[in-house]
Amino acid sequence: MQNPYVPIPVEVVKITTEVDTKDIKTFRLAFVNKEDETNFSYLPGQFAELSIFGKGESPIGIASSPTQPGYLEFTVQKAGVVTSTLHDMEEGTLMGVRGPLGNSWPIEYLEGKNIVVVGGGFAFTTLRSLTNYMIHEDNRKRFGNITIVYGARTPGLLIYKDELNEWEKRTDINLNVTVDKGDATWKGREGFVPAVCKEVAPSSENAVTVICGPPVMIRFTLPVFFDLGFSKENIITSLEMRMKCGIGKCGRCNVGSKYVCKDGPVFTLAELDKLTKEY
Amino acid sequence: MEKRLIKKDALADIIAKIAGDILVYAPVKEEDNVLFKVLKPGGKPLTRYANTKNAPKNFFFPHSEKMMSFTRTDKGMVFSGQAGKSPEAVLFGARPCDARSFVLLDMLFDQDKYKDTFYIEKRAATTIIALNCVHPPYSTCFCTSVGGSPTSSEGVDVAVTETGDGCLVEFLSPKGEKLLKYFGDVKAGDAEEALRKEIGQQAVQEIKSHIPAAEIKPILDVNFEHPCWATIHQKCLACGTCTFLCPTCHCFDISDETKGADGVRIRNWDSCMFPMFTMETSGHNPRPTQKERWRQRTMHKFKYYVDNFSAIACVGCGRCVMYCPVNIDIRKIVTDISRL
Repeated sequence: MQNPYVPIPVEVVKITTEVDTKDIKTFRLAFVNKEDETNFSYLPGQFAELSIFGKGESPIGIASSPTQPGYLEFTVQKAGVVTSTLHDMEEGTLMGVRGPLGNSWPIEYLEGKNIVVVGGGFAFTTLRSLTNYMIHEDNRKRFGNITIVYGARTPGLLIYKDELNEWEKRTDINLNVTVDKGDATWKGREGFVPAVCKEVAPSSENAVTVICGPPVMIRFTLPVFFDLGFSKENIITSLEMRMKCGIGKCGRCNVGSKYVCKDGPVFTLAELDKLTKEY
Repeated sequence: MEKRLIKKDALADIIAKIAGDILVYAPVKEEDNVLFKVLKPGGKPLTRYANTKNAPKNFFFPHSEKMMSFTRTDKGMVFSGQAGKSPEAVLFGARPCDARSFVLLDMLFDQDKYKDTFYIEKRAATTIIALNCVHPPYSTCFCTSVGGSPTSSEGVDVAVTETGDGCLVEFLSPKGEKLLKYFGDVKAGDAEEALRKEIGQQAVQEIKSHIPAAEIKPILDVNFEHPCWATIHQKCLACGTCTFLCPTCHCFDISDETKGADGVRIRNWDSCMFPMFTMETSGHNPRPTQKERWRQRTMHKFKYYVDNFSAIACVGCGRCVMYCPVNIDIRKIVTDISRL
């Protein structure tokens, strides 16, 4: 019987500082043992416990896509004990990963549909995983139109800037990057995510939207999608809660009868409507 | 099924003999309390007591448990070892309510997809000898309201029932039958079994506390926002006694401890009664006051567990009622909810 609490050994092979405030970094982790990589079979939307012995564990969404073999990536904001230690780490450090945990974006359901990806600030991590998964040459034809609306407060707070530039060049993605307020060098769009969604106005026909962002962004974006005709079954998001075990035992991340770690983190708005509002 | 008769006075000696061979957890008197403890080799357990103050869950799900160890290297802290194997053991003297708690905990710790190896291994290595309640010991006993009974065999490997001067010993599982050799060779027959059934029926009659626990699930389904939650918690001190003594409460925290180059990851019991339990790094807390925490405790036991496992997460032992320092009574809460 496999012990679900023992982390998989990984090495930090690349650290990228994502934002000009320097408090969000992406960590690329490579498996120390080849067989662990084979066993770590995941889908976009899942998360893992980043495990630093001596400090503890932090549940973080997987930002890389399964179409990128050889490593996992996690984009982490410096906040508590574990994430601060992570931010002080150097390339070459050994640590642990426990996962993949939770459900995923509903890939099978998304197939054959037009996908609208809406992200705000640093909550773009598992959406980036999903996007890279969908636009991979093996997968692109399985999905319809892909529309992305991604916003941050300032240009310096946009994450994955190099990748956004690459996506911009593609003709098979309708990419809309926006900032609340630009600066002297910013030539792109200005405006809040809900307003940009309204402007872009993706059709709700055969379409699903996946939304991640700060609560205030979600609160104002949802009405836009209701107006566009999206049903609650076709608006999908991901929840966060304080977690420890990640496998539905330790008892703290439940919303009603559902454990965010095990039954989530991905829920449709229709599913969330049936749950209590305790998150 | 094998059945044996022993003399009542012989029971403690038999358990002492088992404790000479393998690890035995049993009730012992410690200062003013009766507590489950590891029995010293050859030591005698109590055989006459109401119930223990602590629930026996500690033996499968320790209050504080080492999960793994790690050590410092040039490239950071690395994993250096798992917790050791679980020794073969006997848990003697569990009351039927406490034995039944393990069946409820199995549902959570031994699910199809995610298996809690720490609990499962200790549970599998332990044989449970239950002492049936011939006379339910407390006025706060309410096992019959939550699906149990004073002579319930759920979770029991060997059941011992006092029948006058003797004890009827029933070996209910293959694990239990391995202990057969300790209990002599006086076989019991149908007469003793009939007597045991009669004792069981009599014991059920003696339970004085009845609550509509099985009826409140549909009421809880639609009353998450009911004003009653604003009053239930008011005198709660958030001490966590109810959850720590509860045989079915299973929430835990995981933390790391280091000394020099070495360290351990341990898990400790945690409690939904504590403010930090759900406090997030950002400062946001989805259960910000004791109101939400009491709602969680009540809902978890009488609704969420029923939703997930079709069972109420309460065995009616009454410990939370007896030991709450401000006399919050789950029986009253359940009864009040049934009248909403």
